Order: sequence, then C-alpha cells, then structure tokens
Amino acid sequence: MQTAGPVAADAPAGAPDRPGPSNHLTPADQAALLRAMLLMRAIEARALTLYRQGRVPGSFYDGFGQEAVSVGAAFAMGPRDRLCPLHRDLGAHLVRGVEPVRILAQYMGRESGVTGGRDGNVHFGDASLGVVGMVSMLPDMMCVATGMAMAFKLRGEQRVALTWFGDGATSRGDFHEAMNWAGVQRLPVVFVLENNQYAYSTPLGKQFAVDPVERARVYGFPGVTVDGNDAEAVFEAVRIARERALAGEGPTLVEAVTMRMHGHAAHDDMRYVPPALLAAWAQRDPIERQERRMAALGVDVAALRAEIDAVVEAAAAEALAAPMPDPATAAEGVFAVGEAQPLGDGRAPWSWFASDPAADRAVPTGSAANGNGAGRGTAR
Amino acid sequence: MPQLGVSVVEGTVVAWSLAVGDEVAADQSLCEIDTDKIVTDIPSPAAGTLTEILVPVGETVEVGTVLARIAVDASAAGQAQLRAGPESAPPTRAHAGPSAGARASSSPPARSTSVQDAAAPPALSASMPVAPGPRYSPVVQRIAAEHGVNLSLVAGTGRGGRVRKQDVLAVAAAYEPRNADRSLHTETPYRPEDEPEPAGQLSRMRRAIGAHMKRSLDTAATCTTWMEADMSRVEAARRRAKASALLGVTALPIVARCAIEALAEHPALNATLEGERYTRHDAVHLGVAVSLGEDGLIVPVIRDAQTLSVEQLGLAIRDLARRARSGGLAPDDVRGGTFTVTNPGQFGSLMATPVINQPQVAILDLEAIVKRPIVVSSDDGTDDDMIAIRPQTILGLSWDHRALDGAQAAQFLAAVRRRLEHWDVRG
Amino acid sequence: MAVMTYLEAISDALREELRADERVLVMGEDVGAFGGAFKVTDGFVEEFGEARVMDTPLAEAAIVGTAVGAAVVGMRPVCEMQFADFVACGFDQLVNVAGKTHYRFGLAVPLVVRLPSGGGFSGGPFHSQSPEAWFMHAPGIKVLAPSTPADAKGLLTAAIRDPNPVVFLEHKHLYRRINGEVPAGTYETPMTARIAREGSDLTVIAYGAMVHAALEATEPEQLDCASVEILDLRSLVPLDDAAILASVAKTSKVVIVDEANETCAPGAQVAALIADRAFEHLDGPVRRVATPDVPIPFSPPLEQAVLPSVERIREACRELLEY
Repeated sequence: MQTAGPVAADAPAGAPDRPGPSNHLTPADQAALLRAMLLMRAIEARALTLYRQGRVPGSFYDGFGQEAVSVGAAFAMGPRDRLCPLHRDLGAHLVRGVEPVRILAQYMGRESGVTGGRDGNVHFGDASLGVVGMVSMLPDMMCVATGMAMAFKLRGEQRVALTWFGDGATSRGDFHEAMNWAGVQRLPVVFVLENNQYAYSTPLGKQFAVDPVERARVYGFPGVTVDGNDAEAVFEAVRIARERALAGEGPTLVEAVTMRMHGHAAHDDMRYVPPALLAAWAQRDPIERQERRMAALGVDVAALRAEIDAVVEAAAAEALAAPMPDPATAAEGVFAVGEAQPLGDGRAPWSWFASDPAADRAVPTGSAANGNGAGRGTAR
Repeated sequence: MPQLGVSVVEGTVVAWSLAVGDEVAADQSLCEIDTDKIVTDIPSPAAGTLTEILVPVGETVEVGTVLARIAVDASAAGQAQLRAGPESAPPTRAHAGPSAGARASSSPPARSTSVQDAAAPPALSASMPVAPGPRYSPVVQRIAAEHGVNLSLVAGTGRGGRVRKQDVLAVAAAYEPRNADRSLHTETPYRPEDEPEPAGQLSRMRRAIGAHMKRSLDTAATCTTWMEADMSRVEAARRRAKASALLGVTALPIVARCAIEALAEHPALNATLEGERYTRHDAVHLGVAVSLGEDGLIVPVIRDAQTLSVEQLGLAIRDLARRARSGGLAPDDVRGGTFTVTNPGQFGSLMATPVINQPQVAILDLEAIVKRPIVVSSDDGTDDDMIAIRPQTILGLSWDHRALDGAQAAQFLAAVRRRLEHWDVRG
Repeated sequence: MAVMTYLEAISDALREELRADERVLVMGEDVGAFGGAFKVTDGFVEEFGEARVMDTPLAEAAIVGTAVGAAVVGMRPVCEMQFADFVACGFDQLVNVAGKTHYRFGLAVPLVVRLPSGGGFSGGPFHSQSPEAWFMHAPGIKVLAPSTPADAKGLLTAAIRDPNPVVFLEHKHLYRRINGEVPAGTYETPMTARIAREGSDLTVIAYGAMVHAALEATEPEQLDCASVEILDLRSLVPLDDAAILASVAKTSKVVIVDEANETCAPGAQVAALIADRAFEHLDGPVRRVATPDVPIPFSPPLEQAVLPSVERIREACRELLEY
C-alpha cells in the first residue's frame, strides 16, 4: 500500500504541524487551499441556518469535516481536466470557480441557482467549468468519469478525469464496472474514495468485507490511502495519481480517510455514531490543521475568516433576494436542440498550471467570458 | 415551524431560549424543536424584539405554523415571523427568455384542452329520442350536421343496423343544398309538376327524394286507411275567420289541431320506430309538408305543436312555408318530427296513399274538400233519411303496420273526424 | 440507390457516419473483432481501428455510463446492447444520468443506444423483448423504431447526429428478411411517421416488424376490397401526433398494433391521444392488437400464440370495418 508522504494524522492534536506533505505547493497555494475550505464550511454553515429557517426546500447535505477531500483533490486538476463531484464535495465546485451566490441560490431553488431550480442541494455542476453534476444513484458518476477518461485516451489528449464517491457507494455494481473498465483499458481517471466511516447509518463493517482500497489491485491498478483531513496530503496523492494517468499508467484509487462530522443530512442527528469517535475526529479538523500551518507562515487567519464570512454574508443576502423560477418554464429544456456543446474548462488555481509552460492552459473561462453557453446560468 | 426534512410534517417545541420582550440577534437560537428524527434549534430569521410566543413548550404544531413574532424595528411597519416555507422568497420573475448559448428551450406543444379545434360540434338533433347510450358516433353526427342530413332518414349498414360514416356520407352526397344553410327533406309522393330534366336523367334532388321514398317503403309495413269527414262546421269557421286576418285560408290548421288532440288520445300514433327502437313521444312535433314548386317538397317541423292554438298553428305553418320557399330553413327546422300532416288537396285530388316520413309511424293526408250529397238522419229520431249537400273530405292515414294495427289507425281517424265534425264554429 | 437488407442499411449508416465524423465511436460487446453478434459491424475494425470500434467488457451499466462521459467531452458514442433485453442492466445510467442531464444542467448528452429487439424466432424471454415503452416513459430520451431499410439508415444517421440520448430499436427479425431500396451516401430521415399504404376505410397504426404484418393482413383482397391505411410510426419519441390524428380523421376507424406487451405499450399512448384529440372523428372504438402481458415464450406454438399474427390483425380490422 503506497502512501503519499507522511500521514499527518499522526500529529498530536494541538501541536504545530510538520511541514506539509507536498513539495509542490507554494505558500499562496497553501493559503488557497485554506481559503477554499473556509469558504466551503462558511457556505454550508450559512445554508444550514437558512435550511432551519425554512428557506431551503427539500433536504440539506454538507461535508463538514471533510473539506480537505474535495478541495485538496480538485486543486490538483488542470483546467481541461473534468470532475464528477458528489454531495459532500462542495469544495470542488469552489475550486473550479462557481461563485458562492450561485450556490446559495441553488440551495434555495432560485432561478439564478446553478440548475435554475431543476435539481436541488449539491446536485449541480456547472458544465461550462468542466464539472458534471451528480445523480442520486451512487456511484453512477464513476462510469461517467471513466467514459470521459476513455475519450481523452482515444484522442491522445493529456487530460484526466476525476470522480469522488463514498464508502457506501462501493457496494454497488457501478463501482465494479467502472473500476474494471478503467483498469482493463488503462484509463487516465482518478477515483477518490471518500471513506468517511458511515453511509447514512451503516458503518464500514456492514458495508464490505474487504476495504475497497485493497481491491484496486485486483482491477489492475494501485490503491492509495491518504489522510483525508489533510488537504495538502490529499492534494499530493491526487497530483501523483494525475501524473501516473498522464504518463499512460492508468487509474489510481485514492482512499481519503476522514469522518463525516454531521449527520447524513440535516434531518439526521447521527445518534448511531459513538460520541467518542466524533470527539477524536474533531481534534483533527482539516481546517484547523491548515490554519495552524498558515499561521506558522505568518498568515492572518482571523482576517481571512472574517473576509470569507463577509463574502458569504453578501452572497446570502443577494441569493435571498433572487427570484424563484418561472413556473411556466417547468417543462422546458428536456431536449437539447442544435449542436451539442461539450463541457467547458474550469479554473485551476494551483500555481503550477500558471507557471509551467508545458501545463495545459485554459482559454479564459467563467461566466462572462465563456460564450459557448454550455451549462445553465453562464449568461447571468 | 420550518420543514426540517422531506418527510417532516410536524414538530414539538421543547424549549424557548428567550422570553417575550427579549432582544434577539439574527441567527440567534430562539427555541428547540423536536421532530421524530432529531432535536434541533431554530435560529432567528431577523434581529429585533421577541414580541409574541404563540406555541408553548410541549405543544406540537404542523409545518407552516407561526411559532413566534419578532418586532424588527419599533418604527418598522412589518414584523418578522418565524415560519416555514419558501413563501418568504421574492415572487417569481417572468422568464427572461433564452440565454445565449446552446441551452435548449423546447416547450411542450400547446395543446387544445378539448375538441374545439376539430370541426364544429354536431348539432345534436332535438328529435333524438331519450335512449340510453350513444346512437350515432361522433363523426356521423358531425357529418350530418355539416351537411344538414336528418339522421333519422339514414338507414344504417353497420352492426345491428347502426348508421356508419359511409351511410351518412352517401346521403349527404345525394343532397345538393340550394344554398349554404338549406337542407331539404321530402317525404310525400306528390309533385305539382316535374322539373325540366335533361333527357334520361333525374336531377340529384329528385334522386334524393326518390331514395327517401323508396327507403321508407322498404322499411315500413305501410298501410293506408281512409275515413270521410263532414267539414261543414270547419268550413263555417273558416268563413267566419276570413274576416279576421289571423286564420289561414286553408283548413289545415284546424285539421292539425284536431289531429294533435286525437294524438293525445291515441299516443301510439305519435311515435317513432328506428330499427328496433320504438319510442312514444309526449310532445307532438308536427311536420307539415310544404310544396316548393319545382324543387319538390319539404317538411318543416312545428315543435311542441300541442301547445299551440289553431291561430298559432296557422301562423306557424305560414311562417314555415314562407321560410321554406325562400330558403330560410335551418337544419333544426326539418328534423325531429313525431307526426306529419300533408295537404295537397288544392288541386282536387280526393284520396292518396301518402308515404310515411321516417322514422315516424303515421302520416295524415288532407285532400280536397268537396261538396257532395250525403245521407243525413233527421234529428227527431225517426227513420227518415234525407239527402243533404255537405262539404266532405276524405282523411287518409298511412301507418306502419310494424307499430300499429288497423284498429288503432281507424280509432285515431275517428277521433280526428269527431273533432272536425263537432268543431266549434266560433273557433 | 441500392437494394439492401435492413441489417445492411444499418451497417451502412454506421459506416458512413464513422467516415464522416471522427467523433463517432461504436462500442459494445463483441462488436469489434467478431463484427457484432448479428454482424452489423462486420469489417469495421479493419477500416476504423479498435479504438473506434470498441469491444467493451460485459457491463451494460458501464457501456452506457462511459458513453455518457465520452459524449459530454465531445464524442458521439453509438452503444450496442447485444439484445434489447439487456438494456435493463444499463437502465439506471440511461434514464437517470443520460436522460436527466440536459434538463438539469443544460449539458447535452449526444449518444445512441442500439437495441436489437423483437421476437418470432424462439429467442425466449430474454432475447425477444420490445422494451421501447420503458424509454418513452423516461423524459429526455428519444426513441426510434424503423421498419424499412431506407428508414433504418436514415433514422440511425439522424440519431447519431441528434444532440440527445436516442434509443434505436432494430427489429432482429427484419435484419435479413426484408430488403428495400436505400439511397447511397448520407441522409437523415425525419423523426416523423410515414404512410406505408394509403387508405380510406380504416387505419392501422404500427411500427417495426408489425408494419409488415399489418400490410400483409390488410391487402384489399383479404378484406372485401376495403381500403386500409397503414401508418408506420417510425418515431415513438417524438411521436408524430399530427400524422396520427390526420389519418384517424380521414378513416374514422383505427386498429393499433403492438408487438410490445399490451399494458402501457406505445400503442396505449397512441390510443389515449386519439381518444383525447380525435373523438369527433371516430366511427368506432379504438382497437388494439398486442402481445399479452407475458414474457415471450420459447416454444414455437406458444410464441406464435402471443405475438400479434397476421390473422389476428386481419380479424380485428374486419370486425371494426363491419362495425
């Protein structure tokens, strides 16, 4: 079993951290990781309050305590890579460039939300930023990511697909079919297994007999375990997996070990989780860890928090004022008309992409500049 | 009470963190709610003063119930309320139109909600007897309405004798309407004169009339019964009425009135027989044959003739005749009759064998009123008979032996005769 | 113009599109080296290479799911399910991922799933289905079912070029049993219905193999010279409402034939449409001839008893003509 650098979970709680596990992150990158995680947590906290005030219809899911898994992994992806995040991976959307106001509007079912009210909570993906939104059937998106990687390989492109899925999802057939397919065709795909110990109320012991990361070998590629609460460790593991993929060495399964600190959804009080387990994991909060690193580098973490809070507060106010979708449009858009537009390129804030001439560079993308119209809401 | 989960319908207040009168900050915890899944605290939606607690500890309320009120600002008009639902969101904005790009906007095709976009709905014949179930299919009714075809005249070749689309189309094709809203139905055998025809060919209208005559004779078991009536009193009444402009100058309205009254006594003759369906009618919708000169005959219907007096019948007959000759009859004017009266006697004919107007079961024929010598008995009960000159007419009744027998026909005629011969001269 | 079988026409469409558009990718079990279970892709690997005529693992969910992935990054995958029946294994990916993506994200999923469907040759319950109704019922998926070689080529071409997921039903029994003239080169057939025979007394509505059964059942000399119109639906989603209603308005009598199991077969939707919007034109009840709700049996007498036969179709027409 390979690991990507020292597993920072060994660090005693409260002690200053060792230097981060990756040699490829500048201090600005490290700060960007923290910033993205703070933003994810702040948005989700604000949304949870809105949910309890009855302003978020349906259910509410968050990735509290798991921010490093989505932020760290997404950070390693280039602009032309493609992502399939899941419901606790809000950080991936933020790294790729979705603005907080659109996310909060999405939760509240507003017309200016990423799906315009067509789907709820984290079931969204801005196609113009290279992200495919999830379906509820898990892990269907593993097959989709595999297919994207298949196309990249067929066309000889230096691009990678990445998808997240949970421990529970590995029990379903699509996990096997995607892993098998990716392995037999040696595809440039990174499978990130978010092992957060529970699938709703089902603990790992009832989910599988053999840890999924062990099974990767059987499909013909490596499985790697990494501390899911260390954003830089997750980043490093995915960075290495991406390099492997680009070199034609095929897929990697990266198991990010973490803990789901909130219930399955806001309506779940997780009484089935032993409080001692939660308490132990609370000591290893990924944001607090990164804050300690940044503080050690002289970054004003409190100011950063305040800045993020202000951003989220402003976004919430704007989203709250946004109108609901027009009911007359409810049956529109079932079928595409005209030429099918593929996914667009997303933001890739890792400094290496900007500095390395060989790195894939993105045509400037994002809502205003991207005229190809792929994805909902790009013209807003 | 917010909706705290897809399946949550109610919650119980466990504790209030504040009391009435307390200041509260936005998002500060106000109370704790217990659903069946979870106990959760509810953050305040606004900053202000808690002015009212509406649900006490321990009470269970449904989602959407107002739990408390907060005065947002002492001078502000509104108050913040803690309640569920997206109704706190701004109202829907009208759809701004397609945004740039390939996003499809394929709205479902606008669907008419009913059949109004099809041809105009068929004018359901008022003569349709009240029978259970549909008797004519929608397309048959529609074609009949469009072409002014009297469905009661159309023989069906479908299962059980039902009228099929091709049957009504064939009839419609045989008709040639004079103008757009003109429909022609003819049943009597008499014509003042024939149309000039190209050699060897009948006009379409002739052929249509002929087809109907033939069909009637093929369908009904037609018999004719005659009875002579003394029309002295009727003629006297006519002479009196001539002075007043109301009555028509023919005896027809009087005969019609007598026939209508006789039908009340003999309802078997005010009936229709279509295939197996036999219906007696309460109302008398009286068909009156009208000569159209060259164009033949038409039988418009006076509806609910039983409610009309002789004068009214006379007016109605005159009106229908006028409209018939000017082409002003509507399809409804010529359908739905339950009994027909025909009066071709102006040319001097004495007797006839009229053809029944399908699907009715009888038709009354009024021929010429002719003065004849008849035998009358003296009033004093002796056997002395005398010869008197009286205006007489021979009433002819063709009737359908499938629905009636000779006795009924004779009884009806006798009732008509009795009324005619006892007609009140004063009218 | 050449005369070719239904199967050759489908091959022709695939070949032309593979040549014309480098984004087109054929994928399925045994489609490459073996040329496909029915030889539709015979010789393709030699011309287009293994990468574009892909032998996939035995994994219908992944075949459809990876096709979705490939489609959203710019390819035009044409998946083959070896038998239509096996699409059930990929149902989730097709209905929940492919069908719902554009509605939710405005992201087009241009893929085709070819389904060799239908019975009549002792294929038994798992090789004889006509599952088109499942996908008519799923929003976001188009469903095509040609009955002639010319339409098979033109509709498959149209399906490949369509920016939406398209389920393409190829009736296996027609593969080699019918020939027809097929235009050379590339062309798209519109996703509309086609009048297979004009008539005035009664309309038979059918698709796929049942069009041929209906034509045979209603030859004029078989029905006392009645003039029966045969409407070949060709496209189930989108459904050609206008053609259906126009034909019913003309003849006023309609028999709908489904090889699919009767309950909620495509014909049920057609019947509902007629009852709703052509009521004023009807001169008799809307009749259906369909396979009963049974798995398609294996032994010939049993199979012949359930699939709509020429005789059953003829009898239904005769009854309705006389009504």
